[in-house]
Amino acid sequence: MSEDNKITDSTKYETFTQEEYMVMKNDLLRPIEKWSLIGKAWIVFLIMVCFAGVYAYYVQETKSKYVTVSLRDTTFWGVYISNFVFFVALSLVGVLMSAVLKLTHFEWYRPLSRIAEIIAVAAIMLAGVSIVAAMGRPDRLHYLVMYGRIQSPIVWDIIVIMTYLVTSCILLFIPLIPSLSTCKNHLHNLPKWQLKMYEIFSFGWEGTAEQWKLLKKTVKVLTVLVIPLGISIHTVTAWLFATTLRAEWDSTNFGAYFVSGAFLLGVAAMILAVFIFRKAYKLEKYLTEMHFDKLGQALVLMALAYAYFNVNEYLVPAYKMSGLHKHHLLALFTGEEASFYWSVVLFGIAIPCILPIFRMFRKPLPLTLIALGVFIAGWFKRYLIVIPGQSHPYLPIQDVPPSWTHYHPSTIEMTIVAATFAAVLLIITLFSRFFPIVSVWEVAEGKLEGKDEIINYK
Amino acid sequence: MEKYKYFITICALMLFSVTSLFAQDKQAKMALTFATLNDTINVCNVSVTSDGKPLDGVSVGLFVKRLFTPLPIGKAVTTDTTGIASFEVPNDIPSPDGNLTFIAKVEDDENYGTFESTGDAKLGIVVASDNSHVDERSIFANRSKAPVYFIAASLIIISLVWGTLLWAVLQVFKIKGLRSKKK
Repeated sequence: MSEDNKITDSTKYETFTQEEYMVMKNDLLRPIEKWSLIGKAWIVFLIMVCFAGVYAYYVQETKSKYVTVSLRDTTFWGVYISNFVFFVALSLVGVLMSAVLKLTHFEWYRPLSRIAEIIAVAAIMLAGVSIVAAMGRPDRLHYLVMYGRIQSPIVWDIIVIMTYLVTSCILLFIPLIPSLSTCKNHLHNLPKWQLKMYEIFSFGWEGTAEQWKLLKKTVKVLTVLVIPLGISIHTVTAWLFATTLRAEWDSTNFGAYFVSGAFLLGVAAMILAVFIFRKAYKLEKYLTEMHFDKLGQALVLMALAYAYFNVNEYLVPAYKMSGLHKHHLLALFTGEEASFYWSVVLFGIAIPCILPIFRMFRKPLPLTLIALGVFIAGWFKRYLIVIPGQSHPYLPIQDVPPSWTHYHPSTIEMTIVAATFAAVLLIITLFSRFFPIVSVWEVAEGKLEGKDEIINYK
Repeated sequence: MEKYKYFITICALMLFSVTSLFAQDKQAKMALTFATLNDTINVCNVSVTSDGKPLDGVSVGLFVKRLFTPLPIGKAVTTDTTGIASFEVPNDIPSPDGNLTFIAKVEDDENYGTFESTGDAKLGIVVASDNSHVDERSIFANRSKAPVYFIAASLIIISLVWGTLLWAVLQVFKIKGLRSKKK
């Protein structure tokens, strides 16, 4: 009897949502049915950039790396690794927007969760690609499995990236099953293969009480699992640096510092994605000004947390100005990296800490511009973490060419980095063209649970 | 006078070059000898001569050959009237077998240019590597010698996480099974 009650409780939303579901489906399925010319051109552009990256990689691997990339004995990690750190940070958006908000019952997460998950999947895939691009001998990639030491942070990183990728894919796919069924039932003017794909991947979904119960239980377990996994992945990435012998990376603060930065970047990426999807797919009814308001508040919170860890990371060593730290810190504060560093502090930390406190800056356009600044500064921040620190090794360097002491990424490197960005955008764009980017049933369920935050927000 | 400036400058330069070449043609030699004073202080004496005559006032630097750049032994010393520059050698320079290769260098001397000489002496301290722990399990050991607790903890965590993921995938097929039962 109690089992029946449980099933009834879990199904009342679904039964109750059918009418609204029908209203919503037209809005949320429209981007799948109609591809605009601009949308097609955008995809062609992204594919072209990806091909440029593939060609650049071909050149890199077939010619001497001494010629094609700027990496040397001193600066052995360049833009590929800073790009990798950036994408790993970006992938934590899934943890924050999908899992943390879901478990803490912030109902406004509902239209955002799928966007967050696909960004997470795309980012973590290209983080892996960035690592392969950085490898001197990519043909020995499988050696990591064959000869890797379980004690090595590199092996932990490989394990945790693979695990996080698989978890994010499953967490993206399972809540997608009811949406695939909706696509199968309501979309008709599509190629046969596409309809067949919806049919196969909807796994016989009929929306029965038992199916809903099973789906929600599975999603809940995965949601709990993905939080420690996401934090682990970025902490392990931080440990890759903290366990390497460079004075500037000798920090016990690194794990928390990286995770807090990732959450800030995640919120900024979410604001950008929501703004673009809202405009491109005309989803103003579902991605409302309320979401910008909430995301703006989240941005301030995350920026303050990140500012705190930055104070720990830079100002405490600066107070002592000891040994090799001194060269690095002075290069950042007043030396050759100063303009770079202070721009990152301004756009990546100070502005998001202050401006979104005021409501007028939490409107879509101003907040998106602030988020764009945070996003770009976020990439350069990883550059500043990874690269200048390597210029001051423990063993003194003498009689080396200038290219060993000053790293400037080559055209090949920057083309590959651009291609990784294009690939992330391509994955997100194609996903949103074949699947509803806003989860129809999650939004419907949220409304019918009577969550005033979404309907009655003013 | 103005028109001869160019000619005079060229002549002066040529004269300077010829003089410099001639000056640097002078050959000098160095010989390294080692001595121990009072059984405690090791000394390296560098004798600088030219045509068998000792050279006074030549600045000599002494270095020990290392893996990368040579290690300087104190500051440069000027030879005395007997043509000898004496260096006190620290007795704590590490070496695999106690042997050290010393390099005496004269750099940019106005008469003799740059030249160097080497000599070996058993003045280093032997660094004994303690390899007794090499075969023990540790974080720093090779892959087959990882600590047992580390392997166990890793396997438990990996199994729990991947077990959950496998369970989640099975739930998807179970969802499909629920449809089949109904039909």
